[in-house]
Amino acid sequence: MTPKFKLGVTLYSYTGDFMVTMTLEDCLADLADAGATGVEILSETHIAGYPNPSDQWVEHWQALLAKYRLQPTCYDCWVDSRLVKGRTLTAQESLDYLLMDMKLAHRLGFKMMRPKLGVVTDDLVPDPVWREMAERALPHAEKLDVKIIPEIHSPTPLKSKTVDDYLDLITKTGTKHFGLLIDAGIFKERHLRPPKPGDWVEPILGIEPRDLIPYLPYVHHIHAKFWQMTEELKEPTIPYDKLLNVLTEQEWSGFLSSEYEGDRAAFAGTQQIRRQFAMFGRLAAAAAAA
Amino acid sequence: MLEKDMIQERGFKNLFADGRAVGFQVRIRTPYYRGIWASLLEGAEVTVDGQKFSPEEVKWTIGDKTYTLAELEKASNVRWPFEEAATLTVPKSGGLSAGLHKIEVCMLYRASYIPESLGLWPMKSERTITLVH
Repeated sequence: MTPKFKLGVTLYSYTGDFMVTMTLEDCLADLADAGATGVEILSETHIAGYPNPSDQWVEHWQALLAKYRLQPTCYDCWVDSRLVKGRTLTAQESLDYLLMDMKLAHRLGFKMMRPKLGVVTDDLVPDPVWREMAERALPHAEKLDVKIIPEIHSPTPLKSKTVDDYLDLITKTGTKHFGLLIDAGIFKERHLRPPKPGDWVEPILGIEPRDLIPYLPYVHHIHAKFWQMTEELKEPTIPYDKLLNVLTEQEWSGFLSSEYEGDRAAFAGTQQIRRQFAMFGRLAAAAAAA
Repeated sequence: MLEKDMIQERGFKNLFADGRAVGFQVRIRTPYYRGIWASLLEGAEVTVDGQKFSPEEVKWTIGDKTYTLAELEKASNVRWPFEEAATLTVPKSGGLSAGLHKIEVCMLYRASYIPESLGLWPMKSERTITLVH
């Protein structure tokens, strides 16, 4: 079976190089050269003059997308619930920030936005104002055709009240403009190296890629998170072979957005993305032959 | 463009008033992976050659405006852009001598998507940089 998913890169992968050794154009040239056709950005990092970029910057962005033949995939933003010390943002305030970003996402050509929400528990249950914020945002999302896709990130499991509540919103409203972004870190099987005391590392949740199948109709984007690609083209912590088999078999057609989160040596992202894409190529060939 | 380290060598200077050195300035880029609203900052402790200055003593210049720690707390509509270094101003009578100085910066900010039980993650850097004159 031939995979239907596409390859993208989030510019987060170039953290450490962006604005030090690489400009925005360098990053886009780099990921296009590696074979990506989609690009994901972090609003507050990669948009000069955020939240009010100049028309010249927007024209520059559009010219770069055309030059490197890239599709804008997901616009990552934040609802900083602890913005004001001593209290959390109201639903109205959260909505104002979300809509500001939604309009900017639309202006830059994105069809998906990932608001990172403030959390109230250790397993990342979002601030309860999210529901009112999201319901009131949906008419705008439909009008601008931007899907709102909160991220399911370790240590949040798939079987959780958080995910159930997101799916409940979709079921109750019937919207096509709300869904999930899955961070592949939830499938982590082992640690890259034994954590030192006091280090926070993403835990091993015991979630199998197959467990994703019932959720896939709502999954619009995947962060292909990784910490290290070896010279043997292996990622030691996340079972990408199983994940790619599931995505291929289920004919999932979204973007796998490469998200390198390892050591930040100069040009590490450039090297690591290529190794990951080479691994994906091998795995996809194996899946196609199966 | 920025230097990779949070502590920037460019911009390291004494601050003069009425012809006398009254302190020094050091620029820092955000050590976080995104630009933020200034009210999310919880200040920075600066240590020079072992002498500590508390977050309350350190003033921040972001863009063309200067803020005390108390003023930063209210600056929820001020951006500290990812691509721009902020200037930290530290009061020190007589300033610093020309030459190499070991600077340490420990900066704190709130990240709303991280459980509060984990506390604030101090972002620290230490670098020996040169004050030209």
